[in-house]
Amino acid sequence: MAENYAIEMLHITKRFAGIVANDDITLQLKKGEIHALLGENGAGKSTLMSVLFGLYHAEEGEIRKDGKTVEIRDPNDANDLGIGMVHQHFKLVECFTVLDNIIMGVEPNKFGFLQKKDARQKVLALSEKYGLKVDPDALIEDITVGMQQRTEILKMLYRDNEILIFDEPTAVLTPQEIEELMHIMKNLAAEGKSILFISHKLNEIMEVADRCTVLRKGKYIGTVNVKDTTMEELSAMMVGRNVSFHVEKAPAKPGEVLLDVSHVTVASKAHKNNAVKDVSLKVRAGEVVCIAGIDGNGQSEFIHGLTGLEPLVSGSITLLGKDISHLPIRKRNVSGMGHIPEDRHKHGLVLDYSLENNLVLERYFEPEFTSKAGFLKKKNIRAYAETLIDRYDVRSGQGPVTPARSMSGGNQQKAIIAREIDRNPRLLVAVQPTRGLDVGAIENIHKRIIDHRDAGNGVLLVSLELDEVMDVSDRILVMYEGEIVGELDPKQTTVEELGLYMAGAKRDEVSAE
Amino acid sequence: MKNLLKKDGVQSFVASLICILLGLLIGYIVLLFINPTGAGAAILEVLKNFFHYSKPSLQLKNFGNTLVKTAPLLMCSLSVLFCYKVGLFNIGAAGQYVAGACAGIYCALKLGWGWLPCLIAAVVCGAVFGVAVGLLKAYRNVNEVISGIMLNWIGLYLANMLLSGVKEVASPYTLHIKTEAAKALLPSLGLDKLFNGNQYITLAIPLSVLLAVAISVILNKTKFGYELKATGLNRNAAKYCGMAEKRNIIVSLAIGGALAGLGGALLYLTDYEQWLCTGSSVPGMGFNGIAAAFLGGLNPIGTIFSSYFIQHITSGGAFVDKTMYCSQISDLISSIIIYLCGFVLFIKYAMNKVIASRENKAAAAVKSDDVPAKDADETKGGEA
Amino acid sequence: MLLLIQYTLIFASVLILVALGGCISEHSGVINLGLEGIMVMGAMGGALMLRGLPSTTSPFVIVLLTLCAAILVGVVYSLLLAVACISFKADQTIVGTAVNMLGVAAATVIVKALNTAANPDDVSSAVQYAGTKKAFLLKIGGFEFNWFMLIALVALACVYVLLYKTRFGLRLMACGEHPQAAASVGVNVFKMRYAGVLISGALGGLGGICYILAGTSEWRFENGVAGFGFLALAVMIFGQWKPQRIALAALLFGFFRALSNVYFGFDWLVSANIPGAVYNMMPYIISLLVLAFTSKRSRAPKAEGIPYDKGMR
Repeated sequence: MAENYAIEMLHITKRFAGIVANDDITLQLKKGEIHALLGENGAGKSTLMSVLFGLYHAEEGEIRKDGKTVEIRDPNDANDLGIGMVHQHFKLVECFTVLDNIIMGVEPNKFGFLQKKDARQKVLALSEKYGLKVDPDALIEDITVGMQQRTEILKMLYRDNEILIFDEPTAVLTPQEIEELMHIMKNLAAEGKSILFISHKLNEIMEVADRCTVLRKGKYIGTVNVKDTTMEELSAMMVGRNVSFHVEKAPAKPGEVLLDVSHVTVASKAHKNNAVKDVSLKVRAGEVVCIAGIDGNGQSEFIHGLTGLEPLVSGSITLLGKDISHLPIRKRNVSGMGHIPEDRHKHGLVLDYSLENNLVLERYFEPEFTSKAGFLKKKNIRAYAETLIDRYDVRSGQGPVTPARSMSGGNQQKAIIAREIDRNPRLLVAVQPTRGLDVGAIENIHKRIIDHRDAGNGVLLVSLELDEVMDVSDRILVMYEGEIVGELDPKQTTVEELGLYMAGAKRDEVSAE
Repeated sequence: MKNLLKKDGVQSFVASLICILLGLLIGYIVLLFINPTGAGAAILEVLKNFFHYSKPSLQLKNFGNTLVKTAPLLMCSLSVLFCYKVGLFNIGAAGQYVAGACAGIYCALKLGWGWLPCLIAAVVCGAVFGVAVGLLKAYRNVNEVISGIMLNWIGLYLANMLLSGVKEVASPYTLHIKTEAAKALLPSLGLDKLFNGNQYITLAIPLSVLLAVAISVILNKTKFGYELKATGLNRNAAKYCGMAEKRNIIVSLAIGGALAGLGGALLYLTDYEQWLCTGSSVPGMGFNGIAAAFLGGLNPIGTIFSSYFIQHITSGGAFVDKTMYCSQISDLISSIIIYLCGFVLFIKYAMNKVIASRENKAAAAVKSDDVPAKDADETKGGEA
Repeated sequence: MLLLIQYTLIFASVLILVALGGCISEHSGVINLGLEGIMVMGAMGGALMLRGLPSTTSPFVIVLLTLCAAILVGVVYSLLLAVACISFKADQTIVGTAVNMLGVAAATVIVKALNTAANPDDVSSAVQYAGTKKAFLLKIGGFEFNWFMLIALVALACVYVLLYKTRFGLRLMACGEHPQAAASVGVNVFKMRYAGVLISGALGGLGGICYILAGTSEWRFENGVAGFGFLALAVMIFGQWKPQRIALAALLFGFFRALSNVYFGFDWLVSANIPGAVYNMMPYIISLLVLAFTSKRSRAPKAEGIPYDKGMR
């Protein structure tokens, strides 16, 4: 055996009902290394990890531990092999204590009765050794996200796992917490643990990883030594071409103020503090204003407050000169607001409705579609749906009557965008409009947004993707911990500077312009 | 054939048929255990119901009796169905039925009202019970099943208390409406003559069928139905596009309550039955309504037939050979059928899977970027 | 007065047993609306055993065998709910409702069939057990102690320990709160949920036999158990899914139930002229109010009622 591998996944192929999610993928993890697994959304990273963790079973390929072929049928097998995973969505029981969550599954017991004393000692010792600060008796629902993640890490260490998988661990963390996590990961590797680090954030990979395997659309692209490569090279491997897809657009011609948000505060559902604190901003006709920031810094809550999904704690919102701070959602929509929601399955579509019914979701009540007696005009709905499908190139199996659930993600998103833009709202609120889509769909959607701007409307874009922020917007507002901490001109700033603002390392006093 | 099976309506029908056949089969097996000699005959009696009689006149009269009880059952199942379309499980239909029955009887016997005001009172009381559930759901986030159950019992005891004032001296039953409050009797519209002078045949029967059709129209043809179904399928999306989801919850439960309440009055104002003032269990009509709604594939027109079927076998239980079996075997069979209705989704899923696997073989080459959105809607939980 | 206490305690015992059953089932993630039906079936099992045993049997054996019969029938019957809701992911409300209706219908059919088989003229659904029932009772002065009061207390202690002190309890509750988390550490969610439902079947069966033994010396099975299964659900909610609180709630609701039975023994209550139905209604009204004012911070298990699906993460 030439190399000393902790775990090897060789030629793994996994299919789902006609789709090949993993196509002949090989991943070899050396002992004591931090190995990054890089790929866009839908590249097959999660599927591969689920195979390793025994949640799915690969049709082809084998898994080797220390050179010996092993079979992993369920998480128990994975655990027995010393494989542990910090899932993207934590697998923690909210109303249990930290300690209970750590020991669950491998509870020390006498005749089935829990013996927590020794467990507590072990947890405290581990948390000391690796610098993982936790309070074993706190309830999960009461502690910070960072501490929840540390609980997850302790769960693995408590089981003496040797192979640790981190599934996009930084998405939910504050910059400080990310810093801390990077430190912890290096510590763990130094202690001889082998780490698989799943991410699509290049800078993090460059910082901590030793080697990096890249997947694209379910296929294995290659494995490189991180110190011999560059971000640009990794990026090219990830997306398949040297894109810095610049959006073709004319300079903005800002006109009158369409939206005026003044000192808005919105409560958080997750914790007791306000998620949005005293935010003021304006959007003018003919410009795309982008709210940039790391996920979870109050962008979602701000949009919920703006569109009426959640009430405001304080502050006011003026749309086209009309105070809409406390108007119901329907009134805001008919007053000239369009909203491409963050989560197309949760908010954007009624998945079990047909495409045509989804396309009139914001307009069904208009006289064009509903008679005075309250009956739907199905002919008009059909005709309108066909127009939109044609104009926005929404593809589906059976046209207007296709159930939305059976459409691909990109076409679902196109349907939403068709519905929102075709209403011709003076203000279009677009939240992560390209999330999880392929490059072709992204370009299409960006073009629609710019066209809408050029027609003299305002666009408020919320995005987590730096490329999108830089390319599409005319003005960038950075949101950090519920506040606007900077206003930048995409033509004059760099991604690095933007990153500093997003990480909270830099902030300006921002005026409400 | 394949395409036909893909239609949701056809699937529902097939699934219901499977439930019925399995239910009868299990019932038959139970009878075999009790007394092997008469099991086949007993099942036939249950299925024959009024055909037990050889004289057409008696057949007609007993057919009429079955219909008399089908009307309230249909109302209850419409109530359940309507709320289910909005994503609400109206187990409270039983209590709303009781409220309507109580209001109808009380207004007839105590207040001496005519039949129309009595019906209206029943509708209002049923709706009030429904709205209570709706308010709790919309503003206090109380699970409608739990609050519905609580209100069922509150309704039962309330009815027992109020109706004790109008009961017969010598029995725990309420007075006969026919003799004590004749003007509250539902008009027969001459329909009784069709059924060999069955005095219990009233406008209740055509009215309930008409309402089933009306519900079907509301759900499928109107803006209101569009909103209700959207709310039921994805509450978040309904909220997002500005539908008044809280109002829709309350309105749909009000309508559901009104339907069930009307059902209560439609039975008791025929004087076919009297209310038992010492009853210690909620009348099963509302629960049977759940069965009929699901057996009917959650389609208003389908429920007309499923309601009739359930009532048909329930009435048929009366004709089994009492020396071997008891009449409750029909309750047994219908509750087995209800139990099996819980598997309808599974049966449909299995059908779809068979169809899909066949189609997949045909079209194996699917582009990987055209991944169907398989994520189950989070609000509805795992269906896959 | 003694009678009131006696009735309160015996009704509370029923409610504690059944509500604990509901509580365990819900902690595993399955809403058991079928408790009423399970009670009826358990009661039938116990009653038939009581009738079958000669009254000369030693009281201890009578009690033991009766309990075993009730538990066994309850567990077997609850399998119906478990299979449908856990393995086939059926709607828990429909199945629960069906299990309730089926319970009464099946018990009636079975008892009638047995009665008719023994005596062709007997078409009633009644089971008499006047002789053997005495085994459960112990006269202490004017107070009639029922062994079920002790059994309920023991069950309470056991459930408390089970939920909070054992490995089983930890895993069970994890399945009701976050089944994916439980599965990720190798807990078999299906198994735990089966366990939860079957335990609730055992406790429901016990509660059923306890209920019918509380009053008369025969029971007609057409009558079911008069909504005690649902009342137990109310107790469970009022007790916020915690055994200690469930016990208190059961005492309170048992007291109301007892009042409706014996209020005519108290002059001042009779003079207040409140119909018995009001006492019967009170527990449900209280539960509704509790729900209305606490549901926003309810401690109900988060994943209850949602079928567990391995594919969902």
